[in-house]
Amino acid sequence: MLFSFRWLLLEYAVRSLFRRFGKNFFIFLILSFLIFILSSVLMIAESIKAELNATLKTLPDITLQRFVAGKQTQIPISRVDALLEIQGVGSVTPRIWGYYYFKPAGVNFSVVGLDIYEEPYSATMARLIKDVNWTQGSYDAMMIVGEGVKTILRENYYNDFFHFITPEGQTKKVGIAGVFHSDLALEANDLIVLPKRAAYEIFGMNASDATDIVLKVSANVSEIPTIVAKIIEKFPDLRVVTRDDIRVSYQNIFDYKSGFFLALFCVCAFAFFIIVYDKSNALSSEEKKEIGILKALGWDTDTVLQEKFFESFILSLGAFLFGLATALFYVYALQAPLLRAIFTGYSALKPPFDLPYTLSVSMIVLLFLLSVPVYIAATLIPAWRTSIVDADEVLR
Amino acid sequence: MTLTPEIIALLTLDVIFLGLGTLALILSLRIAYRWDYASSTPLQYRLTKQSTLVAVIIKYIFILKLPLFLFFVYTCDKLSSVITGAMCASGVVNSVGFGLDLTLFKLFNLYGFGFWLLLHVEDTSHVRLAYTRLKFILFALLCVPLFAEIVLEIGFFTRLDVSKIVSCCGTLFSAASSSASLSLLFNVDARLWVCLFYFFYMVSLIALGFKSTAGMIVSNTLFLIFALISLIVFFSTYVYELPTHRCPFCLLQKEYYYVGYGLYIMLFTGTFCAVGGGLLALMTHTIPYRYWRLSGLFNTAYVLSISAYPLAYYLKNGVWL
Repeated sequence: MLFSFRWLLLEYAVRSLFRRFGKNFFIFLILSFLIFILSSVLMIAESIKAELNATLKTLPDITLQRFVAGKQTQIPISRVDALLEIQGVGSVTPRIWGYYYFKPAGVNFSVVGLDIYEEPYSATMARLIKDVNWTQGSYDAMMIVGEGVKTILRENYYNDFFHFITPEGQTKKVGIAGVFHSDLALEANDLIVLPKRAAYEIFGMNASDATDIVLKVSANVSEIPTIVAKIIEKFPDLRVVTRDDIRVSYQNIFDYKSGFFLALFCVCAFAFFIIVYDKSNALSSEEKKEIGILKALGWDTDTVLQEKFFESFILSLGAFLFGLATALFYVYALQAPLLRAIFTGYSALKPPFDLPYTLSVSMIVLLFLLSVPVYIAATLIPAWRTSIVDADEVLR
Repeated sequence: MTLTPEIIALLTLDVIFLGLGTLALILSLRIAYRWDYASSTPLQYRLTKQSTLVAVIIKYIFILKLPLFLFFVYTCDKLSSVITGAMCASGVVNSVGFGLDLTLFKLFNLYGFGFWLLLHVEDTSHVRLAYTRLKFILFALLCVPLFAEIVLEIGFFTRLDVSKIVSCCGTLFSAASSSASLSLLFNVDARLWVCLFYFFYMVSLIALGFKSTAGMIVSNTLFLIFALISLIVFFSTYVYELPTHRCPFCLLQKEYYYVGYGLYIMLFTGTFCAVGGGLLALMTHTIPYRYWRLSGLFNTAYVLSISAYPLAYYLKNGVWL
């Protein structure tokens, strides 16, 4: 047959690995560590991508932003009516939102203006503000905050209310009506929701403008490109962002980040494989003698080669499985301390969220291809050099 | 250029193949030039040893190339969700001018190296290693498409532009296709291609019955060509249950239960065993009946499973597409 399988040879290979335990264990450990790092990074990227894609479903179909001189500015709310006339558009909602820089803690809050009576533009938002007591008491307005915001405010001794500083330099006292308890922590941690009127004041914006406009397409999602074309024709200064655009850019960002890491990793792996090459190239007299005896006993070059191949295959496959298992434990059980910082960024209000479990067969294949064949390639020539040793030369 | 982890993995392995392949090429050229089984010089002794190295390298490349081909198609499939307009691997493959050539080179190399291994097995089991020189000349020739494939693949991934809009398989595989040869396929009546497909299947079975070497090679080559054409033109529409959807790549997607991987493996293994075994018979003057039986088995399995789609559709709906 083409590739006949010899169990006894496999057994011999395993025993041979254990006979040189020290040397092989060192290689095993380093290789496992490399695979562990690599799989952790890829798993974290995959996991965050899954989390973002889950929130993606709640995003509006189309977002419109107005650009003047290459910078985003406000859109006049009067355009809403014109947008509603386009066939296929379900609902049009102007949004008022932005970032509020809180100097003492050095963080940005995301501030969203919302009126209770109007329909919220996303399902999450509707859930967040459902059971909140909006009675004002002695404050100008009330707001609900995310858990991260609440913590930051408490650290700065704002327990029941907060003073926003408007662009004119006046203070605006807003009471805290409640805290979100959201399972979508990635979205809501740095969020403040307050009435629209208050938001206009805090941002110092004109009440006839909105930050951006979101559209819902009424029925047919495949109509989105046509609607986009019509909007651009009507208002050339608007930039149209569809949900699909956002999905593609997520994919690109994470492919780029993990690809960048992988490129750096390659250098590191290359150094390791040179060590492996060198280590397996240098045969001790003990090993030479062993091969000599085997040859004298009647083993041919191909059998020795096959045995050497089994050795490196077992070693690298073992290291691969071990590295993969520890990575699974590290990423999903321990939630990847340290390494996830590469992906989540450095914002002070970093949301605490759980990495959802995602492991696809394709990822395992990818990791396998990046580890086992490369290791075997590094040992290919040394194994051959071992196998051609002549019995009489060594044993003499 | 995009560097997704999959592309980096493919490129890394390509670089390894390039390095090992070059080494093997240099050694095999020397072996092909200086090999002399009868002589007992130190050189001949060294060459014998080096020939095992070349064989090991080629085995390594071939065994990895098999899963890598599937992985390449899978990577293109995955990229199709990023590239505008592409809905399956065909859009991605065709987004670069030589993408289709690259895929064909990959297929050709699989056939080529597979045949090399058949010859190698035959050679090592021969007492006087009669085919050693032949197999190394063959490897030196096979290096040309191998290196071409690697260079094309590197070029393919560097030129791949994520922001470019490409055509989806719906327009590529239709009468309106910009490629003249492709659109010709669709202008001819589909029934003709299907008849030719079944005809050459029957011819290959007859050739198998008569143990005719030339018959096996010719009939199976034509069977492969018409199987691919009829798959695109006729059978794929029944898999998708959509009269306008003709595509050889969408079969590989989850929506169709990855059925394409099974179909292609059957088709390629069947025709490979026939053609490879036939060429081997020409060189060694023996009848490799084992390979041919395998070929008959795989070809029949392919024909049965691909025919089941239109039949099941007809039984369910009472009409043809």
